[in-house]
Amino acid sequence: MSGMTLIVKTIARLVVGFIIVFGCCVVLHGHLSPGGGFAGGAMLACGFVLVLLAYGRTETRRIISENRAATWDSLGAFAFLSIALVGYFSGAFFRNFLPLGRQFQLISSGTVMWSNVAIGIKVGACLFAAYLVLAGFRTAEDM
Amino acid sequence: MVLYVLTMVIFLAGLYAAMAKKNIMKTVIGMLIMDYAVNLMLVLIGYRRDGLPPIMTSANEPASAFVDPLPQALIVTSIVIGLAMTALMAALCVRLYQRYGTFDTLHMRKLKG
Repeated sequence: MSGMTLIVKTIARLVVGFIIVFGCCVVLHGHLSPGGGFAGGAMLACGFVLVLLAYGRTETRRIISENRAATWDSLGAFAFLSIALVGYFSGAFFRNFLPLGRQFQLISSGTVMWSNVAIGIKVGACLFAAYLVLAGFRTAEDM
Repeated sequence: MVLYVLTMVIFLAGLYAAMAKKNIMKTVIGMLIMDYAVNLMLVLIGYRRDGLPPIMTSANEPASAFVDPLPQALIVTSIVIGLAMTALMAALCVRLYQRYGTFDTLHMRKLKG
């Protein structure tokens, strides 16, 4: 599957930075504004899918292969589970064990922000890996 | 009450599109409309009269001035699940077109290999 023309590739290169920064912003401000891990992870996956559509499957596989996306997916799930288990060993399951901080600051409310980051990584990698695998059809003309 | 009945009407419209249409893309769109109708109804259940959007900007607002934020948080999750489901259905439609050469479900009768 080949990519698109030079104009599309240039614009995709310029725009994907903004998309990923905005997705990371939505993920990090999960405890202050609407969004959080799921919505930010979906935006990150859409940024990667834009790269996949503009550059074609073979080029994107050199940068992010399916194995690497699956590895990041598992790392995100493992980070979320380890946050829950550290809370378990210091009281209750999913207990908030980090200092709470002042209200309405970015670094506040304990484990909520790190849970959002873990879920954002997991959802972004998982949706992009699913799209990368499903977009890999070869018709009779491509073979 | 009228709002819940109207979301049920949207759900029934999606159900009709999913069941009674021959084109498989219209079936996919019908399932998508059903998903949106259920999400909309669950968000509408959490409404309180004269309620503000549940975003705290200062510590002075009492908690009873907002609408219920819990359905909204769960529906964000459900929307992303709907996105993944739609991606899988669209990929299946592409594969069906490559296999049978048509989107018409009345012509997809041959089970070979």
